[in-house]
Amino acid sequence: MIISLTEPYSNEKLKAQQALYNVIDPELFVNVVDLGLIYEIAFGDDDSISVTMTLSTPHCPMGEAITNGVKNALEMTFPGKKADINLTFDPPWSFEMLTEEGRAQLGV
Amino acid sequence: MADIDIGKAPPNSAVLPFYATGAGAFWILCFLLFISTDALSQHYFNPHLLAIVHTAALGWGTMIIFGAAHQLLPVVCERDLFSPVIASLCWYTLTGGTAILVFSFWTFTTGWLMISGGSLVVFSALTYFINALLTSRICRHYSVVRLFIVTSATWLMFTVTVGLLMTINLSYPFFTKNHLDILKLHAHAGLAGWFLQLITGVSSKLVPMFLLGKSAKEKLLLYACVLQNAGLLLFLTESYFGSITSARILLYAALVAAGVVCWFLYLYDTFRNRVRKKTDIQMKQTFVALLCLAVAIAMIPVVVNARGYHWTVLYGTFAFMGWITGIILGKTFKTLPFIVWNGHYKSLSGKVKVPLPKHLYSEPMVQWQFRIFIIALLFLATAILMNNVIVFRIASGLWLILSTLYFVNVMKVLLHKTKILS
Repeated sequence: MIISLTEPYSNEKLKAQQALYNVIDPELFVNVVDLGLIYEIAFGDDDSISVTMTLSTPHCPMGEAITNGVKNALEMTFPGKKADINLTFDPPWSFEMLTEEGRAQLGV
Repeated sequence: MADIDIGKAPPNSAVLPFYATGAGAFWILCFLLFISTDALSQHYFNPHLLAIVHTAALGWGTMIIFGAAHQLLPVVCERDLFSPVIASLCWYTLTGGTAILVFSFWTFTTGWLMISGGSLVVFSALTYFINALLTSRICRHYSVVRLFIVTSATWLMFTVTVGLLMTINLSYPFFTKNHLDILKLHAHAGLAGWFLQLITGVSSKLVPMFLLGKSAKEKLLLYACVLQNAGLLLFLTESYFGSITSARILLYAALVAAGVVCWFLYLYDTFRNRVRKKTDIQMKQTFVALLCLAVAIAMIPVVVNARGYHWTVLYGTFAFMGWITGIILGKTFKTLPFIVWNGHYKSLSGKVKVPLPKHLYSEPMVQWQFRIFIIALLFLATAILMNNVIVFRIASGLWLILSTLYFVNVMKVLLHKTKILS
């Protein structure tokens, strides 16, 4: 996920990204941002936050915990806003989506 | 949330009782080994060994595998489990059936008690079969893993049905074939049909998940499925309907072995193409378990041709105590802590700081479990080969320590209380 400083809501998106660094995949012990699971964060004018994200495998046993974690972290950071998760497997997650930090944490 | 179904884990009642009972059965199995030093030095058709083997196969192996399968079927099929209620029924009948059956074998009480135990086990296998079939029937995608789940559940039904017929035959003889010949068929349908095919299928899904690895050689799994089934079917058919020769047994064993090699090659390819380079203790334990399977298969020519029953007992030991037990010891702490963690922390994730699944069990105990497993297995194999009571005592004592460690660690996970880290 790349955030441009000139795009609308860039400050909010950076703050959201910061919050998501605290959401850890319980199996891999790496946060969801560095794992490359977050594809897009969009802020609407109607107090909504929409997150497009994926999981490392469809029907991942930890899937509900991870999506709950993302939703909880955003709603804690932006009180009064409602976070919606749009789960997609298009494109499916692949190793190339790991950030440098994520690779380092996994010992790649 | 979008319309993609990420699914819900089945309720804990469909999974956790199996783990708790399995851990208890493993301890009982090791205790029975400890108090019956002579069971492994006699012919394999003796009451105490029958009780020990059925504790291992049903109370330990099948119990844990049922629990894990109820959790993993949705992962494999990308759908929710067909019926958690049926899964609970499966636990009640397997627990009751195994307890009755093991008691009947230990005291060699043939008749209605043994038959009712066998009937409950058949009923339990049927409930699992229904859940496996109806969950996989609505699979989103066809996969060879799904095929393995269906074939293994079918073989389980076959194995336990033959087992039930054998309990009836002990009281009301009706087999035209020798009871011991049928016993061999029953045992191998269980080993190469139920355990081997289920473990092949599930590991082909789980190992890539755990290692973050990928293999493009999925065809190998299809070959594995065809070869394992062909070898077993030919062995059973010719053994039952004809008079099978040693050469034919070895030929059919070679077919099954070729299927195992295909599966190993797939796992090796996944291992080579993994992202996660660090191999944890659980994966090392799994590797040793697979090595035990290879040793058991390599022993088949000796078992077929050698005189005496020591090699048969050793073969069974490597299969049950080496391969199946090793796999379960390795995989328990790769699955159970996550299942329990999900129940406690799924809704808290992202809100507060919570422990990770690896904090729910003792890692040093898992490391000791791995070390003691290797030593206990080597001692047991030596005791069987040397027919030495003292070595057997040491071996069974080590198994008892191992099972106690495992039981305590499993209970630590199961009895975990929700904690919020400051």
